[in-house]
Amino acid sequence: MENVFLKNSHLGAFLETLRLFGELHGPTISDNGVAAFAALDDAAALRLDYRRTLIPPKKYLLPFREEILQLRDGIYHAAAPPGRDIVLFGVHPCDLEGIAYLDRVFLGDRPDPCYAARRARLTLVGISCEPDDFCFCSAPPEAAPCDLYLSALDDGFLTRPSTPKGEAIARAAHDLLTEAAPASAGPCRTACRIRPQDPQLRFSDNPLWDRFAQLCLACGACSVCCPTCYCFDVREYPNLAGDGVRLREWDNCLFKTHGEVAGANFRATRLERLRYRFLHKYCGFSPLEGVVSCVGCGRCRSACPVDIDLRELIETGKNPGGEPA
Amino acid sequence: MNDAASDMQLPHGAILLDRRELSPDTALFRVAPEASSLRALSRFTPGQFIQLSVPGAGEIPISPADLPGADGTLELCVRRVGHVTELLHAAKPGQRLGLRGPFGTGFPIREMVGSPVLLLAGGLGIAPLRSLLYHLLRHRDDFGEVTLMYGARQPELMLFREELVGLAAKGELRLYLTVDFAPQEPAGNFSCAVGLLPDLLKGFSFDAGRSYAAICGPPALYRCLVGDLEGAGVEARRILISLERRMRCGIGRCCHCAVGQKLCCTDGPVFRLSDLEQIPEAL
Repeated sequence: MENVFLKNSHLGAFLETLRLFGELHGPTISDNGVAAFAALDDAAALRLDYRRTLIPPKKYLLPFREEILQLRDGIYHAAAPPGRDIVLFGVHPCDLEGIAYLDRVFLGDRPDPCYAARRARLTLVGISCEPDDFCFCSAPPEAAPCDLYLSALDDGFLTRPSTPKGEAIARAAHDLLTEAAPASAGPCRTACRIRPQDPQLRFSDNPLWDRFAQLCLACGACSVCCPTCYCFDVREYPNLAGDGVRLREWDNCLFKTHGEVAGANFRATRLERLRYRFLHKYCGFSPLEGVVSCVGCGRCRSACPVDIDLRELIETGKNPGGEPA
Repeated sequence: MNDAASDMQLPHGAILLDRRELSPDTALFRVAPEASSLRALSRFTPGQFIQLSVPGAGEIPISPADLPGADGTLELCVRRVGHVTELLHAAKPGQRLGLRGPFGTGFPIREMVGSPVLLLAGGLGIAPLRSLLYHLLRHRDDFGEVTLMYGARQPELMLFREELVGLAAKGELRLYLTVDFAPQEPAGNFSCAVGLLPDLLKGFSFDAGRSYAAICGPPALYRCLVGDLEGAGVEARRILISLERRMRCGIGRCCHCAVGQKLCCTDGPVFRLSDLEQIPEAL
């Protein structure tokens, strides 16, 4: 479908149309001032001027804690297929890239049933954004992977559906949309897209490694707020009747327990854990070796209490001895 | 049974048949899988692992100590060391368990055909190597000389001792046993060397250029042995190492078991030394 145009004055009616496709969620500001994706029971709660939410939209696909199995009479059963129809409105391109990465991990050759069930019922409406000092994404916004993408202009939004779901929305909102000239691709905002890094960089003699290791509090905030951090632990909780549940919940590679095995720990120091995170984000694990999973959302930089930015390692590596580019 | 995708995290049923004490804290459990597991288990390669569930306790990765029997029966050598293994050791025959797998990459048994094989086991590392050993012995004519060097901390912690000595007495393999410490052994017990595995290896002459070496044991063991093996002339790609990591999901998702950029649960747990040489944190 060609581009169409949504006038600012029609945004409210457009949001109501979106409700036909599922529960409407979008960026809001919580009571304690934190930007968060949340249900838009009242569309007035929508805050399209947000920079980044504290917790990325991965929470819709990988809840912090999720039941994967139920144990009844000694027999494990798959949990009921989770999820409900949700339309997530106002997602920035970096977060859309984050979801596309999670799709590669969880919908690859052996799709994860819980993730797949939620993903199939999630409709993504992307929106262009204004980067701030923490941002360093460079994905061309017109390529952001979503069902429907809105590019904000002065008097409204250039609207581009890119999936059958997105086209269905455009048809349902036909009365609210007007013809628009074909969009010209906007300029790429920044030039610092991170390329896959040499895994050996984690053992470089760059003094930043030791400085970061001394500063790091191992609080794990960078991983919690990362839109592509997905590693999880699996736990089983019995109940007094002898039944129980098996859950998976977010784990965190900055935590010391992450590298434990019986009688040893492969990542006992913070330096080793920072290297591990670097390796996963910028070099990729099998089978996504060589795929960078950092999408440049800037959350880890803004959340880190001691201002660690692993990206500095890459930049000083390019320009030894020089200031970060 | 659900579709193939959900099979990956849903354990199949299995029944605990019996157990045999091997040492004060380690026992050999025989487990009968339900029919739904049999097809997957028929593809088991020595060195692969299964995920064993003890209902209500959780799940642990275990590398079977033998190939599955014709009826699928598995032998699992388990040390009582944590929550799940504690409850497994407390389980009675007939207890219902759960089973997923087999997962991962085992020993390259096809490629090893025709070559002499040196097995090096430390402590509980004998368990995965025992399934490789039995594969070699059941296809005795396909392989060259089979040698097992097995080190344990002290004599009573040496697992499968009588069984291994019996096989050696029949001439099926060359067996070298060693213990780190030997308090007074009651008279009449067979003797074994006192010392570490690398000491055994030093005095050992073998056709290193054609041999495969398979190692399983605590991390310190790998670090001691690989240099000696390479020094003796074993090619790095023929030095096979079974690594231990905390594999939760078993299917390459949870990211607890990364070894460099490889995942122990899918790319391993058996790796070639040549694939680990660029990964300083592997050993």
